[in-house]
Amino acid sequence: MLSSIYILVALGFALLLTVLGILNFTHASIYMIGGYICYQLAVVVGFNQWASLLVSMIAMGVFGLFLERVFFRPFLKDMNRIVVITLALIIILEAAINVSVGSYIRRIPSFVPGILRFSGVSISGDRLATFAIGSALLLGVILFIRKTKTGLQMLAISQDINGAALQGIKIHRIFAVTTAIGCALAAVAGSLMGAILSLSPFMGDQMLIKAIQIVILAGIGSIGGVLIGGLILGTIDAALPLFISGSATDLTGLCIIIVILLIRPQGLFGREV
Amino acid sequence: MLNGERITRGRRNWIRPAVYASLLIILFLLPLFVDSVYYLHTFIISLIYTIAACSLRTVMISGQISIAHAGFMGFGAYVSSILAKELNWTPWLTILLGGISATIVGVLAGYPLTRVRAIYFSMVSLFVGLAIVALIGVFANYTGGDIGLIGIPPLPDIKIPGLPDINFLRSRIPYYYFFLVLTVLSLLILYSLENSRIGMSWKAIAQSYLVASSVGINESGFRVLALAVGCFFAGIAGAGYAHYNMVLTRSSFGFLSSVNLLIYVLVGGTGSFAGPIIGTTVLVIVPEIFRWMKTFAPFVFGGIMLFVVFFMPQGIAGLFEQLKTKVVQFQQRKTLRDVT
Repeated sequence: MLSSIYILVALGFALLLTVLGILNFTHASIYMIGGYICYQLAVVVGFNQWASLLVSMIAMGVFGLFLERVFFRPFLKDMNRIVVITLALIIILEAAINVSVGSYIRRIPSFVPGILRFSGVSISGDRLATFAIGSALLLGVILFIRKTKTGLQMLAISQDINGAALQGIKIHRIFAVTTAIGCALAAVAGSLMGAILSLSPFMGDQMLIKAIQIVILAGIGSIGGVLIGGLILGTIDAALPLFISGSATDLTGLCIIIVILLIRPQGLFGREV
Repeated sequence: MLNGERITRGRRNWIRPAVYASLLIILFLLPLFVDSVYYLHTFIISLIYTIAACSLRTVMISGQISIAHAGFMGFGAYVSSILAKELNWTPWLTILLGGISATIVGVLAGYPLTRVRAIYFSMVSLFVGLAIVALIGVFANYTGGDIGLIGIPPLPDIKIPGLPDINFLRSRIPYYYFFLVLTVLSLLILYSLENSRIGMSWKAIAQSYLVASSVGINESGFRVLALAVGCFFAGIAGAGYAHYNMVLTRSSFGFLSSVNLLIYVLVGGTGSFAGPIIGTTVLVIVPEIFRWMKTFAPFVFGGIMLFVVFFMPQGIAGLFEQLKTKVVQFQQRKTLRDVT
C-alpha cells in the first residue's frame, strides 16, 4: 500500500516536470506540510479526519497557486535559479515546521479503524483506504488529463510550449492549475502517510528520492507509467528487506533503475528526450 | 569610446593580480590573528568545501548539473581512510589514491550518464550518488556502516632537519596550511583547465551539444573528462576531510550534502570561476555567525538563497558584472546628455 503513496507524490512531481519543465524539489516539503495540516486539524482542533484531509488538500492547492505565481513564474526559463529556489523553500519550510510543531514524531488517527481479514490475509483498514483513495485519485487525474479541455491543454503544453501559446492557450493559467493539482495530491499523500506510519519534519527527503526514482523509471511525460513504476518500486521496497539488509535493498533498487536507463534512456514508457 | 576603454583597461591591469595576491597573503597570515580553534575549524571546512564546489563547477560548465558530487567525495574519503587504516599506508599517498579511485568511479558512472542530458542528467546523477552511499553501507565490515568509520590516522608528522617537527595532532594550524596549499593548487589546476582548449570545448557542449559535435568535439568524451576531473578533486577534498576529521559517517555524503554543494555553486554563480569560492565562503561562514539562533538558523540560510535568486540573477559573483554594466550604462547616458 506504500505504492499508492509513492504514486500520489510521484504523480504530482511528474505533472510539474512534464508541463512546467521544472524539477520541483519543494514537492516533498508540500507532502510533509499537507500531513501536518491534517494532523493539526484532526488532533489539535478536533475536526473529523476526512474533513481535515479535504481542508489540507484545498489549503495546499491554494499554496500551490501562490508558489507558482511568486516563485516559479518569473524564473521558468532559468533552470539554475529554479533549483536554488526549490531547495531554499525546502530548507525554509522544514525549519518552519520544526520551529512551530517541533521535531517529535506525530501520528494522525486512523481514517478507517479496524483490521479486515479474509482467507488468512489481514489488512488494516487504513491501508485499504489508502489504496482506494490512491487509485481513485490516479484514475481521476488520468481522466482529467484525457477528457477535459484543461487537461488536453496541459498535454499540448508538455508537447510544445510555444505551439500551445500560439494556439491561444493561456499557458500561465494552465501552469497554475497544474501546480495546484500536484500540491493537492501531495497533501493527500502526506495525510495518508501520517495515518499509516508517522509524521516528521524530515520525512519529505526520503519521499523526494522515491518520487524522482519513480518518475525516471516511468519515463518523462508518461502518467500511466508512474503507476507501473510506483508499483515496481513499492514492491521492491516492501519485499526485498525480508531477504537482504536495508542498504543492500537501496542498492538493488538503484541498480535496477540504472540498468533500465542504460537499456532505455527515456525510461520504461517515456518518449525520446 | 573604444579607444578610451582600452586605455583604462590597460591602466587597471594590475588591479586583479594585486587583489588576488593580497587575498592570498591575508589567508596565509590568518592563523596569526585567529587563535580560536573553532574559527580555524570553520575556515578549514570552508576550504575543503571550496575545493569540492569548484570541482563541481568544472563538471557544471560542461552542462552537467550533477547531484552526486558529495557521493564521489565520500568514495574518495572512504578509500583513503580504509587504505591508511587497514594497510598502514601513509595518508600522503592515500589521499592521492582516494582522488584517483573517485575518478575511476566517476568515469564508470559517466559513460552511461552521457546518454541523458539537462534535467534528466541531474535526476539520474542523484541515483549515482545514492548508490555510492548505499554501497558504503553494504561493505559494513570495512566502512563501519551506519555507526561510522573511526580510528582514521591523521596526517603524519613532517620532519624537516633544523626546524621543529610539524605535528598535525597538536594544533589545527598545520592542517589549515595543508588545506590552504591544497586549495590553491587545485584551484590553479582547475582554472588553467577551464581556460584551456578543453575548457572551451566544455563550454561549447553546454551551450549546444549539437553544434559542438558538429564542429568535431567528441561530446561524450569531453563530458566524461569533465566528470573525471571534477571527481578527482572531489575525491581529494573528501580524503583530506577524512584525515582531518578522523571520523566518517556515510550520511554526511548523502543527498543533502550533494545538494548543499550544488547550492554553494549556484548561489555563488556559475558564470565565473570565483562563484563557487564566494558562495562556499558566504554559505559556510554566515550560518556559523547565526548559530546562536538554533532552530531558526535555517531561515537565514534559506533567506540568503532566496535573496540571491531574486536580486542577483548571476549569483553573488555576477554582482560585479551587474554593477559594471550599470556603471557603463550610466556613463553612456551621461556622455549622451553632455553631447546633446
